[in-house]
Amino acid sequence: MLVTWKYRPRDTFLQRLDPRARILYLACVTLAVTVSQVWDFRLLLPVCLISLALYFTGRLPWKDVRRAWTLILLFITLILGLNALLSGRGGPMAVLDEAQQTIIYQSGALVVPVTGWALRLTLTVERVWFAAAQMVRILSMVALAIPIPYTIDPSMYGVTFRRMGLPDKAAQTIDLAFRFVPTLGRDFALTMDAQRARGYELEQLRVGPIERLRRLAPLIVPVVMSAIVSGEDVVDAMDLRAFGTRPRTWLRAGWLRFRPADYALLGLGVALMVGFVTISLMGYGDFWVPEFMYRLFQ
Amino acid sequence: MATMGAGMMTEKKNLWEFSTRQVVYGAIGAALYGVLSWVTNFVPLPAAGNVTFRPAVAVLVFFGVAYGPWVGFLAGLFGNILGDAISGFGFYWNWSLGNGLMGLIAGMAFGMADFRKTANIVRAVIWSVIGIVVGMLFASLTEMITSGIDLNTALVGYFTPAFLGNLVVTVILLPILMIAFAGVAAGRGR
Repeated sequence: MLVTWKYRPRDTFLQRLDPRARILYLACVTLAVTVSQVWDFRLLLPVCLISLALYFTGRLPWKDVRRAWTLILLFITLILGLNALLSGRGGPMAVLDEAQQTIIYQSGALVVPVTGWALRLTLTVERVWFAAAQMVRILSMVALAIPIPYTIDPSMYGVTFRRMGLPDKAAQTIDLAFRFVPTLGRDFALTMDAQRARGYELEQLRVGPIERLRRLAPLIVPVVMSAIVSGEDVVDAMDLRAFGTRPRTWLRAGWLRFRPADYALLGLGVALMVGFVTISLMGYGDFWVPEFMYRLFQ
Repeated sequence: MATMGAGMMTEKKNLWEFSTRQVVYGAIGAALYGVLSWVTNFVPLPAAGNVTFRPAVAVLVFFGVAYGPWVGFLAGLFGNILGDAISGFGFYWNWSLGNGLMGLIAGMAFGMADFRKTANIVRAVIWSVIGIVVGMLFASLTEMITSGIDLNTALVGYFTPAFLGNLVVTVILLPILMIAFAGVAAGRGR
């Protein structure tokens, strides 16, 4: 079982950007759409479209990202559907009176025994449009987050975070962790084979979930313990080389360089952040439902 | 080898020490957490409803218990980033930070002399469960800000499945890992 990285070197616009600029832009977009609490679909949509445009400049093959997109979209849809059906609240909907909403569908009351609470599933135009606004808002962040593993070289994570202000030791932890991955992946495969040779069975078990978890121990324990034991050698090797006594240098630090496109991206991120907060402070950007939605369900 | 487990049986342990050992074991914990999260995608695992069990969580809290809060924090924070990188899911700061908090709080149980003692195992499990509650609450509640969902959805859709799955995994696998670790440490003459 070989651990393979999702990263492939591609000469695309997205990949030529400095990883710091991309992570900072993601942070700016996250802050812009969350801190400001702007829920106007007309304002959220352009941010989402910019994120999607950036995503497409990465030219990631669909077969590579299909699984990630499918699982994430499925999960978001389930959560937003649950939110719309359970209460439809959150964000600006928290203050919206249900009596003023346009009902699309309402189920019969389900009375909870003992408590006497009446649960009723209600779907309103406002709830549906709020879910759409939520989806656009989440997509504007997810479209920036998904390409990261595919377009940032694993060996660049440590130095990237270091250059973003993380302490040397913490950055070294990331760097080391990425280096350990192939070895540990191989250890898992070897342990699995060795245990199977001794009759270890995981697939064809007719036992309950608890027992199934317990039976993972022969796979997990040897790998974890051997990693711990070999870690001592790494500690010694690093101590012998005086690790941590002075700031370390990074082999690939020179690869990180802000170019005009990076400054432009960062400028855009800051502009979005300032713009959204200003719009919110001026009292604009509230939740908005288009007229056609009401006409559709009248 | 002589100092494995930060001088497991003898030295007075400093909870917040951050030296080479913490860097290395934080990295090993993160790598194990990431790889194990990925490997178990291919192993049939029990699931009940939308609760899936992630055995990697037991390894994460174990690293907190065995090596302290910094190691737990780094293993959770970077392990989650790593797991998402291997699986290709992306980069989600709030879930990574939530996992970091889970490991950090489990690390408050650090400093126990004998990992075989029932009282110590119970203490480690309790701190780990507190860590799971805080870490998963943090991640679920920040989803309220990022996704704009309400408290009910955050608790029902995110927190409860994550908490229950991680709780079961920790209660079952953490004691096994602790006892195995005590055996390894004793076998090395400490």
